[in-house]
Amino acid sequence: MPIKEQFARVWLVTMVLTYAAYFAAVVYVGETTAWNQIVMFAVTTIVQVIVIGTASAIMAVRHKRGPAADERDQIIDQRATRVAYLLLICGMILVGCLMPFNNNGWTIFHAAVLSIAVAEIVRHGLMVAMYRRGWDG
Amino acid sequence: MGNRRLRNNLRVMRFLAHEMTQAELGERIGVTRQTIAAIEAGKYSPSLEAAFRIAEIFKKPLEEIFVWEEVKSGANRRHSA
Repeated sequence: MPIKEQFARVWLVTMVLTYAAYFAAVVYVGETTAWNQIVMFAVTTIVQVIVIGTASAIMAVRHKRGPAADERDQIIDQRATRVAYLLLICGMILVGCLMPFNNNGWTIFHAAVLSIAVAEIVRHGLMVAMYRRGWDG
Repeated sequence: MGNRRLRNNLRVMRFLAHEMTQAELGERIGVTRQTIAAIEAGKYSPSLEAAFRIAEIFKKPLEEIFVWEEVKSGANRRHSA
């Protein structure tokens, strides 16, 4: 399995699990203090950084030899990123242009995080699918 | 214009080149073994540059390795390049 595919899988699993936990906590806790909201988001981000950083370091040691990313890796990355970018733009238009008229600050913040989470999950999910199914031809 | 796809004879060429491995071929043209496997399986169409490099390694004209062929009805049409 190419290192880029392994990396995409690690990203995908980490993003799904951490953001699922984060949004479950947001829904479960409901309205709370700003400090609690910041702590929940910080914990999520720190867990992501630790898991992805550790996995990257392990993979870098294992794959010392061989090209880091070849032309197929780059095409897959470009196509997945293009789709994720469109999703992110749609999410940000919703968050930045529509939600400020009807929603409070923390709802807007959570919607922005959700947009980023969906874009990241779609990007890495597409990358894994393209490596497996060969939609990159 | 009919449906066409890119077929390749990479497996045969590797066999004729003393069973050259996918990893060895990949290393010589600067791609990973997985990319060579994807090309052979028809899952990925290589760039023009990679295709010329492959032809250069096997010392064959490009059209002898990569064939731009008509897809017959009922055949797999997924990989039109």
